[in-house]
Amino acid sequence: MPNFCLFDVGSTYTKGCIVDTDQEIILAQASDFTTSSTDISIGIEKVKQKMFKDITVHIDKTYVCSSAKGGLKMIAIGLVPDLTLKAAQLACYSAGAKVIKSYSFELNQKELDEIENSNCDILLLSGGTDGGNTSSVRHNANQLIKLKSRFPIIYAGNKSCQDEIKTQLEQVGFECILCANVMPSYGILEVDECKNKIRELFLKSIVKAKGLSQLNEVIDEIVLPTPLSVFEALKLLSKGTKNESGIGDLIAIDIGGATTDVYSMNEKLVVNEEFGYKGLQEPLEKRSVEGDLGLRYSASHVYELKTDLHSTEFDAYINEINNNPHLSSNIELDTQLASTCVDIATQRHVGRLETSYTPMGISYYQTGKDCRNVKQCIGIGGPIIYNPNARSILSQCLTKPNQKDILLPIECEFYLDKDYLISCLGLLSKQYPDVVIRILKKKLEKLNHV
Amino acid sequence: MEKINVVIGVIGADVHAVGNRIIDYAFSQAGFNVINLGVMVSQKEFMDAAIETNAKAIIVSSLYGHGELDCRGMGDMLKEAGLEDVLLYIGGNLVVGKSDFSEVEKLFKSMGFNRVYPPGADINQGIEDLKNDLKEKGIYA
Ligand code: B12
Repeated sequence: MPNFCLFDVGSTYTKGCIVDTDQEIILAQASDFTTSSTDISIGIEKVKQKMFKDITVHIDKTYVCSSAKGGLKMIAIGLVPDLTLKAAQLACYSAGAKVIKSYSFELNQKELDEIENSNCDILLLSGGTDGGNTSSVRHNANQLIKLKSRFPIIYAGNKSCQDEIKTQLEQVGFECILCANVMPSYGILEVDECKNKIRELFLKSIVKAKGLSQLNEVIDEIVLPTPLSVFEALKLLSKGTKNESGIGDLIAIDIGGATTDVYSMNEKLVVNEEFGYKGLQEPLEKRSVEGDLGLRYSASHVYELKTDLHSTEFDAYINEINNNPHLSSNIELDTQLASTCVDIATQRHVGRLETSYTPMGISYYQTGKDCRNVKQCIGIGGPIIYNPNARSILSQCLTKPNQKDILLPIECEFYLDKDYLISCLGLLSKQYPDVVIRILKKKLEKLNHV
Repeated sequence: MEKINVVIGVIGADVHAVGNRIIDYAFSQAGFNVINLGVMVSQKEFMDAAIETNAKAIIVSSLYGHGELDCRGMGDMLKEAGLEDVLLYIGGNLVVGKSDFSEVEKLFKSMGFNRVYPPGADINQGIEDLKNDLKEKGIYA
């Protein structure tokens, strides 16, 4: 009975699919090249035409996830870089946002100017455990009220001074939303409420501000920022529901033109209980975004990082990309760039086994996530799914022989999101979780050894 | 009144965990809110935890004999971090062998520690001293 038309808009390709949730099948699927400057509804219209070329079905609801206008842009503020700032960043990422600036300790004038000119959608202010430091959030609120620009501020710092900070920010016209501390006590991460508040704000004000509400005639709802839709679909696929089992721990990689996103879904943070854990607890469901790794806008940076790739042919190709990020495509060289993105982005995503040499011998402790037992890796997004060397690119996420201290997967099966289903299906993760899992289990394409 | 936060931990590559649990228990019983960083704690971890939690004291333990090396520069680092008002105590087996304790005490005080305890020191002594030191600072009623 219910048929859903789902779209993922805002990136280079507009993607769409029609899902029959009764039969649990994809009735149609299409994508279309869109330049970011054109109206989003044109992209949707084109994809619709393609999908309805061969079929006629009644559509009950149309949902869209969006990364239009640069996605959901956030600023994260914390106190200590490795603690509340990191917690704030993890909260932003898990809500599907892009962290355009991060600040620790007390904001100075230069940083304030950056914020003024940053055009951010939401600012997340944190700092101090509950009952802990209050001076940094107080100082930073005092600085923020000097700004001329206005954007919603989520306060997720020390609860002791949340009321006075809310009042102070609201007095000068900021919208201030109170939220549970992202690090209520030392090392404990608490991102769920923050994630929900970010999503509510996205729906309430950001959608409008990004000119997406014009879409309201074509669609029923803009439900999620695209990365959050991906996040929710992957989480379901990994964990399952009470009716449908999940596939267990997984890692997923989405390489774009400017950034590389890595998602990991794990059952446990510390796999080997022999090792103690140090520092901020990382989330079992984690997303990280590498803003300097991508195949087009960040290509020259990726190339600089990997000096052993350097050749005159490659130099010329990088130049070509810089001049025209849309046209050029050299499979061979793109494969090498993409492999580098996967290599570095996954290394940054996972934790480390730190070694301590003691008089008694060597002892170990873990920081960050242990992904060594992850057995499944999923490739998402155009640059991977259309590359004939996808398997070799994705295999860069595996542990290297000389880097056993980096807690990357040891061996994996590799899968591709061939039909761009993950981001679209994430839109149904609340209403039809079982269906989402079953379709993904069927439709993800397993990559065999060549 | 909100409880006073104290950060505790065993510094360096030291894995002696038993005393640490006793200290956690004793300070909690005495009415403090304990942030226990466990064993193998670096200077930076002590510092970061004290900043975020607005701790009034850092209680360092060192049992395995390398305390001097592990604690070098710690007082200066805390001063740089704006934590000069945080009380810094240390106890355990601070150096290998039975050298004259007053020498040891002098050494650690020169590194910025406010109080230095000999091997086998009673943790309750540490608690009493902390209460008094905090009172003197006008923090503890
Ligand atoms: C059990 C033990 C181990 C176990 C620890 C297991 C574990 N995970 O906890 C193991 C086998 C791993 C071990 C290893 C080593 N150990 Co060992 N170990 C001991 C032993 C036998 C008991 C420690 C203990 O638990 N005591 C009970 C607790 C309650 O007492 P505590 O730790 O001293 O803590 C109390 C006080 O010190 C005080 N206190 C501590 N901090 C502070 C701070 C303040 C401010 C205050 C007021 C008080 C205070 O209050 C605490 C609570 O009451 C002692 C000997 C002994 N009898 O003490 C040696 C001993 C501590 N170890 C020693 C050594 C040398 C080692 C090794 C280097 C050598 C080796 N080859 O084994 C390694 C080091 C490993 C490492 N990286 O840390 C020496 C240290 C010598 C020195 N410093 O001068 C000792 C003293 C043995 C000895 N006599 O040689 N050890």
